[in-house]
Amino acid sequence: MNDYQIAWNLMKKVFPILDDSFTFGQATDDGSLLKNEFYQCVESSKTLNSGRIVQDLLVSKIEQRLRNEMVPEFWSYFKRSENDNKGFKQFYNAVKSLYDCFKQLDHVITKLDMFKQATQLGDLIYNENNTHDALKLILKATLLSQLNLEYQVVVMNFYETALKMEDTEEDDGQCIICLQESKHCNCLHLFQETNRKLGDMSLLEPLVGQTLTNLIYTYIHAHIQKICKDSFDSSFIVILEKWLQTVVINWLRKIYCYDTSSSNNEVVVGMFDKKLTNYLYNCYTKIRIDQLFNIIIEYPESLPALEDLRLCLPRTELKPLLTKKLQKAMETRLLHPGVSTPDVLTAYVAAIRSLRILDPTGLLLETVTQPVHQYLRSREDTVRCVVSSLTEEGPNDLAEELIRGEIVQVDENTPVDEDGENWETWVPDPIDTSPSKSSAYRRTSDIISMLVNVYGSKELFVNEYRTLLADRLLTQYSCDTEKEIRYLELLKLRFGDSQLHYCEVMLKDIADSKRINQHIKQDPEYSESDIPMSAMIVSAQFWPPFKEEKLELHARLVTQMEGYTSAFETLKGSRTLCWKNHLGVVDLEIELADRTLNLSVSPVQATIMMHFQDKNVWELQELSKLMQCPPTVLRRKIGFWQSHGILVETKPDVFCIQEDLENKDNNIQEDIFVEDYESESAMASAQDQREEELQTFWSYIVGMLMNLDTLPLERIHQMLKMFAFQGPTIECNLQELKVFLDRKVREHQLIYSNGYYKLPK
Amino acid sequence: MKVRIKNWTGVATWKWVANDDNCGICRMPFDGCCPDCKLPGDDCPLVWGQCSHCFHMHCIVKWLQSQPVNQQCPMCRQGWKFNNK
Ligand SMILES: [Zn+2]
Ligand SMILES: [Zn+2]
Ligand SMILES: [Zn+2]
Repeated sequence: MNDYQIAWNLMKKVFPILDDSFTFGQATDDGSLLKNEFYQCVESSKTLNSGRIVQDLLVSKIEQRLRNEMVPEFWSYFKRSENDNKGFKQFYNAVKSLYDCFKQLDHVITKLDMFKQATQLGDLIYNENNTHDALKLILKATLLSQLNLEYQVVVMNFYETALKMEDTEEDDGQCIICLQESKHCNCLHLFQETNRKLGDMSLLEPLVGQTLTNLIYTYIHAHIQKICKDSFDSSFIVILEKWLQTVVINWLRKIYCYDTSSSNNEVVVGMFDKKLTNYLYNCYTKIRIDQLFNIIIEYPESLPALEDLRLCLPRTELKPLLTKKLQKAMETRLLHPGVSTPDVLTAYVAAIRSLRILDPTGLLLETVTQPVHQYLRSREDTVRCVVSSLTEEGPNDLAEELIRGEIVQVDENTPVDEDGENWETWVPDPIDTSPSKSSAYRRTSDIISMLVNVYGSKELFVNEYRTLLADRLLTQYSCDTEKEIRYLELLKLRFGDSQLHYCEVMLKDIADSKRINQHIKQDPEYSESDIPMSAMIVSAQFWPPFKEEKLELHARLVTQMEGYTSAFETLKGSRTLCWKNHLGVVDLEIELADRTLNLSVSPVQATIMMHFQDKNVWELQELSKLMQCPPTVLRRKIGFWQSHGILVETKPDVFCIQEDLENKDNNIQEDIFVEDYESESAMASAQDQREEELQTFWSYIVGMLMNLDTLPLERIHQMLKMFAFQGPTIECNLQELKVFLDRKVREHQLIYSNGYYKLPK
Repeated sequence: MKVRIKNWTGVATWKWVANDDNCGICRMPFDGCCPDCKLPGDDCPLVWGQCSHCFHMHCIVKWLQSQPVNQQCPMCRQGWKFNNK
């Protein structure tokens, strides 16, 4: 045996790992027993100058063991399992087995350290000053080089289960991992033991850190979603922050207290705290942004959610996202034909109110509602809906705004010096403000004004109101004039006296009519044979144009009306009446063989009945001639009586009274009060009036086309803008112009081809 | 069948019985009112001259006030006399 052989055998004794027969789990040698051998080793190394070789050999052996045994075994624990909770045990066992071997290697390293000291070997392993750190480095590198596919799942599993255990509020007495009763459960202890071992091996951060962060993010997200799903009526921000501290951060503290890689664990937890709080805010804000449309719809119940969002926005820089998402939501959920105009308006008003809270500068409001404005402008019935909801019975948003607006206006009249007293509370406009509009303009604009601005014309608005008022006054005789006067006063405050003066006269006409009726009924010259008569006497100049319809009334009524007219002429010198035969309301009682009906109907319908009283059977043509009413229209009107079971069509175009219902299904009740639901507007529609206005542009358009031969729509619109829309004339938008021109095409007054309009030759 | 009309509410517009539609002085419709008035009818009545021309009362009174001498009908230049028919 030569010196080398002896030295090698000695070496293997001191460092058993050098021997290929070494297995982990052998009882570690008692250091004292081998003291002699150790010093012999040191001596021989010194003589042979083999210290460096020994170290390299050892490192190589350690690496080999790690690569071929420890790490593969460690990863062999990571198998996907059906049972979520199984991951907990898997990871625990994996770490335990790794740690046991690691401890043995660490022991080898301790001995190597001693050896290096004794032989004064200064060569570093992988440039690490501390040999133990070098071992950890090798371990980490080897582990990561053999990463298992299921590793994240299992780690996630392990921590998720533990976190759930931490976060369960009510203790139902059973551990969710081992399913044992809590008092016998050892799981929390196993959890901490695992973390301690990982910490010892400096593997906490490299092996677990990223997965843990992901887990917590997912966990926070799920938690927020769970607690504030569809619940807009309470604030969550304080609750969430508290939860983050008491549950998540505290739990992290329990893990990272074992981390040996950093000198101060609170610093690590502090970083987590910052990062997670930030994430919490971001996540909560995003969830609220996604819900924003619903939040808006539920205003004012959703105020707490809005307040939360207002607090979160400055901390998250998510305002651009909010703007984008809300605009999108508005588009997909509101601005399509499936939503009725009143619903669009309701949502619009709610949006204005909510966004005022989110962003008092009004910029957000302006951006988000811009498409809504454009959309509302394209809907025909918008003005009508606004006006009718303004004057509707019962509580409604717009009517509230009307009253609110009154106060706003009073405020505006008292001069506020913007640069004066309030300079300390002044806040600059956000940087994305368009400089064209002053912030003061935005702040004072109220909802009604905004809606009116959608049309750019108070006049159109007021006209629509006038038409609706006229309709109500004429068709609902019982209409509450006092209430109408009250509303009129409110509207006057906003739109000015002059615009609404016409409506005032209309209301006065109704009041006057009631007085005149009383007067005439007391007139001894006037007699009411069998038809009690009253009249609504209106000042034509002040009412919107009436829809004209021809109707010849029954002779009995004509006589009655003549009597009324002369009584009026006597009462009001030099004045007479022009009756609008087709307008008005008639209360009827119809007595048939087996039933009696009480109805409120239109004059046409009443006239039909009066004729049928004279004669049981009528031919459509005959009645049409007598009543001066086109057969198609008359047939529709007769339909009303058919639906009441009073008239039947016995032969084509022949109608007859149905005295009793005998064999007919008895679904018509006696003494029913049915409104004439066919009640159409008595006024020429706004559309008709608009057409008339557009007609004034027609001569301009013809002139243009004579000079320039062919023109596209846009060009016509531009030229009209330049020449025709001047002064107080109402403008018309591109869409309206297109509809108008297209009608002219249908009427063969224009030719349209390849996107150009021209006059017919 | 028996039809009983419990009440017939008709709609009518009122108008002045005059041989013109507009006031020769202010050019406004008779059925409206003169430029100084807000309410038509009783509040802004018409008056006739013996020449048979008629005007808003407020218009002819103003006109006459602006003509201290020689008060003539602005339409036919005859001396103005109210016709109290
Ligand atoms: Zn006049
Ligand atoms: Zn007058
Ligand atoms: Zn005259």
